[in-house]
Amino acid sequence: MTPFEPIIHVDFDRPDHCYMPGGSITVRYEVEGLGERPLLAVERSLLWYTEGKGEEDIGVHFFDRRSSKTDAAKDLETGSFTAVLPASPLSYEGVIVKVRWCIRVRIFFSSRDAVPELLGGSRDFVSEHVFEVGTVPPAALNAGAQSA
Amino acid sequence: MVRLPRFFGKKRGNRQTVSHAWGSLGEAVFYSLLLLGGAVYATVVIVGMFWPGLRLGLWGLGAGGGAPAAPTVWLWLLNLFLPTALLAIGVSGIYRLLSVLGKSEERRAAAVTIPDILEPVAGSAEEPGYPAVPTCDNFTNSPGTVLDFRLPIESPESWALLGIGIFAVLWNIVLVVLGVSAGVDLAGGRTDWLLIALVAAFASVGVASIVMFVRAAIAAARVGPTQLEISSLPMRPGGRYELLLSQSGSGTFRSLSIALEQEERATFRMGTDTRTERRVVLSREISTWQAVELSAANRFEARCQVGLPTDLMHSFTSAHNSVDWRFVVRGDPVRRRAFTRVFPVIVFPPRMPKPPGTARIHDEAVER
Repeated sequence: MTPFEPIIHVDFDRPDHCYMPGGSITVRYEVEGLGERPLLAVERSLLWYTEGKGEEDIGVHFFDRRSSKTDAAKDLETGSFTAVLPASPLSYEGVIVKVRWCIRVRIFFSSRDAVPELLGGSRDFVSEHVFEVGTVPPAALNAGAQSA
Repeated sequence: MVRLPRFFGKKRGNRQTVSHAWGSLGEAVFYSLLLLGGAVYATVVIVGMFWPGLRLGLWGLGAGGGAPAAPTVWLWLLNLFLPTALLAIGVSGIYRLLSVLGKSEERRAAAVTIPDILEPVAGSAEEPGYPAVPTCDNFTNSPGTVLDFRLPIESPESWALLGIGIFAVLWNIVLVVLGVSAGVDLAGGRTDWLLIALVAAFASVGVASIVMFVRAAIAAARVGPTQLEISSLPMRPGGRYELLLSQSGSGTFRSLSIALEQEERATFRMGTDTRTERRVVLSREISTWQAVELSAANRFEARCQVGLPTDLMHSFTSAHNSVDWRFVVRGDPVRRRAFTRVFPVIVFPPRMPKPPGTARIHDEAVER
C-alpha cells in the first residue's frame, strides 16, 4: 500500500524569504494529495522557536484555526493570510542558541482510523516553512578580541 | 486500526525524548492516583470525625470499638491538610492535562499569548512592544553621577564571598551546639571522647571557613567597588555610547580593562538534572589601562566610547534560552588575585520606521 502523505505547498510573497521586523508577510498555502479524506481542521501559524542546546521555546505571533464546522472543505485546503511582523526576536544563528521564524500549517483528519498509514497513525500532519526576519549574521565562536 | 504511540519521540537535533502521548498518560495516572489517595484519605478522616465508632481507623483516627479519645480541633485540621493537598494537586493536574488534550503545540502556545487580565498585576519580564526582549526597567532606575545611568553590577567574587559567609555561619552554629553539649557532659563529670573528637574535627573546619571568609572579605575590600556609567539606555545596534569607569581601592593594578561581551545561555534537562550552559560568542575590547595607581584619595576614573555594529543580535530571553549583553571589567592588581566585574546591559532591536505588528490569534475555541 502506498503511504499516504499529504503535501502542503507554501508560497511566500518574497522569493528570498527574507523580511524585516515590522514588515508585512503574506503567505499562500495549498494542501494536495488528500484524496477522499476530508479535513477536520487546519491551523495556520506564524511563530518563532529556539533551537540548539537548550530546551525548545516557542512564541506564536499569528494563529488561525479553521474547522469543517465553520468553513467549506475547499476553504480548508487552500488559503492565504497576511501578518505584520513584530519588532523582535530577529532570526539568529548562534552557537548554542538559534532563533528561527517559520510558517506552520497543521491539518487534522476526522479520526485516526481514517488515515492509519499517516506518520504512524497520527491524526494530524504538519508542514513547516522557515523564513528570515532581520539581517543578523551568524555568530562565530572565538569572534572576540576585536576592538569596539 | 488504532496504533499505540511510539514510546520515544524525536526532538530537534539528534536527541530523543519520551513521546508526549506516553508522558501525558503517565501524568494522568500519577494525578489520578493522587486524587484517589486524597479522596480515600479525606473519607477516612471525615468518617472518623463524625462517626468515631466505625472501624475505619487510620493513624489513630476513628479507631472504633471502644471509647475514642476526643480529638482536638487542631488535630482534625492537621489531618485534613494532607488529603486536601492531595486532592488539590490531583484536580489541578488533571485539569491542566485536559485543558491541553488534543491541542497542537502552536495552539497551546497561542493560548499563552492571548492577553491575560492578570498580566498587568503579575508584571512581565518582557519589554512591551518587543517580544522576547528583556525589559530595561531595572537598568534605568539608577541615575549616574556624570552620565545618565549607573549600571547594576554582577560580581562573581561577591557571590563567592556570600557563599563562604553562609557556610561559615551555618557550620559554626553546628559547632557551637556540639561544643555546648560536650561542655555540659564535662561539667557533669562525664567524658564522651567520641563527641570531643567530633567537636575537634568540626572546629578545624569551622576555623578554616572563618579564615577563608575573612581573607575573601579583605581581598574584596582592598580591591574596592567598581562603577560603570553609560550615556544612554537601552543600547541599540548602530548606536555610540559614552562610558565612565570608576575604580576605588588602593595599590597598583598591572592592568584594568573593559570589554563588551555577548553570551548565549541555554538551559536543558539531562536525566533528572537541569543544566545551564553559557558560551561567550563575541568579546570586543573597548579599552585597557596599564599601571593604574589607586589610593583612598585617588579614585581611578576614565571615559571611553563604544560603538555597536548595525547588524548585531539584540538581547533575547525565553524560558530556556537567552542572548545576553554585558560589559566586563577585568582588573589585575599587584600581589592580589585578578578580579572580574560584570555589568549586564540590554540591547534592543533596531528602531523601525512604523509600529510593529501585534500578535493575532484566531481560535474558535477561545472566541466562544
